[in-house]
Amino acid sequence: MLDQAKTPFEIRDYIRQQLFPHFMCPGCGHGIALRALLWAIHDLGIAKDDLAIVSGIGCSGRIGAYIDANTFHTTHGRPLAFATGLKLARPDLHVIVITGDGDCLAIGGNHLIHACRRNLDITCLMLNNEIYGMTGGQVSPTTSSDRYTTTTPEGNYEPVFDACKLAQGAGAGFVGREMTLQTPSLKKLIQQGIAHPGFSFLEVISDCTEIYGRKNDLGESAEMVLSQKADFRSASYGMIADEVFQPRNVKTGVLYKDDRPEYAQAYRQKIASRAKK
Amino acid sequence: MTTAVKPVKAPNTPPLTIPRPHNVLIVGVGGQGVIMISKVLATLCQEQGFEVKQSEVHGMAKRGGAVFSHVRFGEIVHSPTIPEGEADVLLALEWAEGMRWMPYLRQQSGTFIADTQRIVPPFACRNRTRGARTGYVGETIQTVMEQVENSFALDAMGIAKQLGVVKAANTVLLGALSTALDFPTEAWKSVISKFVPPQTTKVNLLAFDAGREWALGFDRESELRNIKDTRSLHQESTVEAGADYSRVEITEEWCKGCDICVKFCPERCLIMNEKLIVEMAEPELCTGCRMCEWLCPDFAITVHTPNHVPL
Amino acid sequence: MSSVQNIQGNHACALAAVAAGCRFYAGYPITPSSEIAERMSVELPAVNGIFVQMEDEIASMGAIIGASMGGAKTMTATSGPGFSLKQENLGYAAATEVPCVIINVMRGGPSTGMPTRPAQGDVMQARWGTHGDHPIIVLTPWSVQEIYQQTLRAFDLSEALRVPVVVLIDEVIGHLVESVDLAKMNTGNPVERKWADSSQEDFQPYAHTEDLVPPMPRPGDGYRTHTTGLTHAENGFPTQDPEVANRVISRLLQKLEHHNDLVECVNQSDCKDAEIVIVAYGITARAAQSAKQQLQGEGVKVGIFRPITLWPFPQQTFSEAIANARLVLVPEMNAGQLIVEIERYRNDSTRIIGLNRYDGEPISPQQIFNKVKEVLQDA
Ligand code: SF4
Ligand code: SF4
Repeated sequence: MLDQAKTPFEIRDYIRQQLFPHFMCPGCGHGIALRALLWAIHDLGIAKDDLAIVSGIGCSGRIGAYIDANTFHTTHGRPLAFATGLKLARPDLHVIVITGDGDCLAIGGNHLIHACRRNLDITCLMLNNEIYGMTGGQVSPTTSSDRYTTTTPEGNYEPVFDACKLAQGAGAGFVGREMTLQTPSLKKLIQQGIAHPGFSFLEVISDCTEIYGRKNDLGESAEMVLSQKADFRSASYGMIADEVFQPRNVKTGVLYKDDRPEYAQAYRQKIASRAKK
Repeated sequence: MTTAVKPVKAPNTPPLTIPRPHNVLIVGVGGQGVIMISKVLATLCQEQGFEVKQSEVHGMAKRGGAVFSHVRFGEIVHSPTIPEGEADVLLALEWAEGMRWMPYLRQQSGTFIADTQRIVPPFACRNRTRGARTGYVGETIQTVMEQVENSFALDAMGIAKQLGVVKAANTVLLGALSTALDFPTEAWKSVISKFVPPQTTKVNLLAFDAGREWALGFDRESELRNIKDTRSLHQESTVEAGADYSRVEITEEWCKGCDICVKFCPERCLIMNEKLIVEMAEPELCTGCRMCEWLCPDFAITVHTPNHVPL
Repeated sequence: MSSVQNIQGNHACALAAVAAGCRFYAGYPITPSSEIAERMSVELPAVNGIFVQMEDEIASMGAIIGASMGGAKTMTATSGPGFSLKQENLGYAAATEVPCVIINVMRGGPSTGMPTRPAQGDVMQARWGTHGDHPIIVLTPWSVQEIYQQTLRAFDLSEALRVPVVVLIDEVIGHLVESVDLAKMNTGNPVERKWADSSQEDFQPYAHTEDLVPPMPRPGDGYRTHTTGLTHAENGFPTQDPEVANRVISRLLQKLEHHNDLVECVNQSDCKDAEIVIVAYGITARAAQSAKQQLQGEGVKVGIFRPITLWPFPQQTFSEAIANARLVLVPEMNAGQLIVEIERYRNDSTRIIGLNRYDGEPISPQQIFNKVKEVLQDA
C-alpha cells in the first residue's frame, strides 16, 4: 500500500490528460464510473505501474484508454479471456476488466460465467447502460421492457438479464451493484471488489444519455442520473436514510461474498502437492 | 378544549373562535405522507364547518425532494399560503425540513411538532465528507426544545413500530397534531378512517391514540433533563471560522455542457453560460460538497476545500 | 541413456514449446490436437508454467495473447473449426504485435468435416483467415522431428518479430510416432523478446524503429502504454489520420519482408536442373519425396520445392527454383489452395498443374508418380 491512499484523490494523477476531453457523449455515465474506479484505486494505494486495465469493445471498452496505467483494449466480449491469461501470467498485477452490458452479457456471456466459476483474482466492472451505444443504439440483454431502440422499433419485448444473479450463480466470489449517482458508494464497492481475493463482479448502473435517453425521452443527462434513484427509491419511501435502496426492485451494494479458493492459488497448491508425490 | 384532553400539559391551543385564519404547515420529503396528512386535516376542518385552503408543493415528490403543504382554515380564508411567522402549527415529518421551515412558526404561541427521523436526500445534503462541514441542519432536538416553548420531538416511527405497523407513523403524528388543534377526537378518528385502507383502520386508530397520548403526557422539562438524543448529522466544522470559501475550478475545455453539475448543485451555484460551458455564478453559496465534481462525467470540475478530509 | 526416443508428433510439439520457453498454454479440447494440451498440462507445471483449459477456442486465443502481453511465451493448439474461432483474436495479435504461437493440427473440412482424417484445407485460412491485411508466419513441418524444430522456431520468430506464428501440422504427422533425438535438436538458446528499456518519457510503443520491430513495453516496467486493436499511431493510441494509418500499417506489413532472412525456410532438392518441380509441404512432401526417387530412377529430371515457411511465400527463391522447369506440380490435400499463390509467380513457359484430393486420405507417392507420368505423356 502506497502513501497515496493518505493523500487527497486527484483524478488528474490517474488519467492520460493529453487525451482529454474524452470521446464520450455529454452526460455519459461512464465518465462518472471511471472516476469512481480511479478513486478506489487511489484509496487502495495501487501503483499505476502495477495496474492493468483490460477492456472490450463498445463505449465501455473505450474508457480504459484514458487511464494512466497498463491498458489493453481487446476484442468484443473477450476482455475476461485476455485478463485471465494476463493475471495467470502476472499475478503481481492488479487486473481490472471494464466491460459493458453487451460486451459482457451477450457476446462475452460465456467468458463471464467461466470467469466467475474459476474465481481468478480479477475485478470485472460491467457498465450497464442498457444499450449498444457505440453502434447507434441497438437493444442489449439489459434493455428495460418496452424501451425503444433502433432494433426494437415497437419497444423491447425481450426479458432482461440480471447480471448479478448470473454472476453469483456461476460462482463469483464477490458480487455487487451500484449506480453512478452514488459516486462515493460506488467507489467503496469497487474498492471492496478489488480487495476481494477472487473474482469480483460489479455491475455499475450507468446512463447512455445521448442515444438511449433521447430515443426514450428519459430527460436530459441530469434527469437520467437522477432517475437512477427515482426508480430505485420507490420501495424505500418513508424509510430512513441508511436503508438500502432497491433500484427497480434490484438491490445495490454488496450482494454476495464468499471465500472459496482463488483459482491461481488452488492451481499452485495442486501443483505443489503433485511435486511432493 | 374538549373533555378528552387532560389539561395537564396541553399545548397552547388558540381558541377556534378567533376570526383570523388558523395556519398549519406540514413539511417533509417526498413520499413521506405530507400530502396525506394535510388531506386528513383539510377534510376534518371542512367537516367542522370551516373554510379551508390547502396548497401544496411537491415538485420533487418522487425524488426524495422537499414537500410542503399549507393548510389554512377559519371563518373566511383568502390567501392559500401561510406568510412567514404565521404558522400556528409546524408539523415536520423530517427533522431537517422542520428546521428549514422554522421561520414560518409564529413566535411564542406557535407549536412545533417534529418527527425525529432524518432523511438525507442528495439535495438537502451538502457535504458528505465525514468530519467536514455538512449541509444537514445542525440543530439538535435539545437546542430546538430550548428555543421553542411548544415543541414536541417524537419518534413516530418508533411508536408505530411498537404497534407493529411502521406505516402508521403518520397517524401517530396526526395524534400528536390533534392535541394542538381543538377538534373532537372522534371527528379526527372518523376522518382518518376514511383515508386509511379499511383493513388497517384499527391499527391506525390505535396509532392515533398513541400519538395523542404521547403528546399529552409530554413533559418538556424532564425530557430536556433526560435527553439522550443529542445525535446530529452535523459535526463540528473542521473549517476554521473565516476560512476561505470552497473554490470550484472549472476546466472549460473539458466541459461538454451536459448540465449535470448545474442541476445537481444543491446550492445552485453553477450556471450554464451562452457557450454552453458551465460557470460559477454564486461562489459564496458553495459549500464544497463536491457533488458537481463527483458527477461530472468529464472531470471538468475540481473542488478545492480549505480542509480536505478523505471519505 | 540415449536421448533418442519414440515420440508422437503432437507430444514433440509440446516438448518443443517448453524447450523454447513457453510458460503459458491455454487451449480447448479438439480432435486431433488434444494430445498437445494433455502433454502441456503435465509439462508446464513442472517448469513453473501455467496450463489452463479455457471455456472455448476464442477464450484460449484471448488468454494466450493476454499472457503474452504480460510477458510470457505462450501457445495454443487447435484444429479446423477451432482455428476458425481463433481468427478474430489472431488478427488482434497481429495488429498489436503480440507474440504467440498457434498450432493447427489440420483435419478434413469444411465445417466439422472429418475430425480424424487428414487434410491440408487450412492453407489459405492460415494466411487470410482473419480480416484485413496483416502479417503472419505459417510453418509446415513434414516429420515429427521437424514438428519439434519448427515449433522451436515458431517461438523464436514470434518473439523476435512480434508476430503470431501458426504451425500447420498434418493430422497424420501429429499422430505419427517417430524416433527423434530431441536433445540434439534443442539449441538451448531460444530467442528472447526485445523488451523496452529506453526512457519512459515519451516512449513510443509502436515506434518506427530501423528493424521495424519496436521493443515491447512490459507491464510493471513503468511504461504504462495502451494496446488496442484499433489502428494505432506510434504512441499506441487510436488514429484515423490517413497519413498516420498508412505509415503504421505499412510498417506492419513490411516487417516480415524486412526480416526475410529469418523468416524464409525452404527445403529444395534437385530443383536446379529439374524439368519438373514438385511443390509440396507437410505429409504430401513426403509422398513427393518417394515419388521423386521413383521418377529419377526412370530418368525423369524432377526436383522438390518444399516451403517449410509457407507464409509469407518464398516467392524469390521459388521463382529461381523453377527457372528451368517446364512443369510445376502442386499436390495438395485440398481442392487447390497453394497453387493459387504459385500461379502468381509462374513464368510464361511453365505449366502449373495441381494434384488434389480431399477425401480424408493422404496423397500417395504412387499418385504423384502417375500424375507426372501422365503429364509427361501428354506433353
Ligand atoms: S458548486 Fe459544487 S461543491 Fe459547490 S455547492 Fe455546488 S455542487 Fe457543491
Ligand atoms: S457536469 Fe461537467 S461536463 Fe457537464 S456541464 Fe458540468 S462541468 Fe460541464
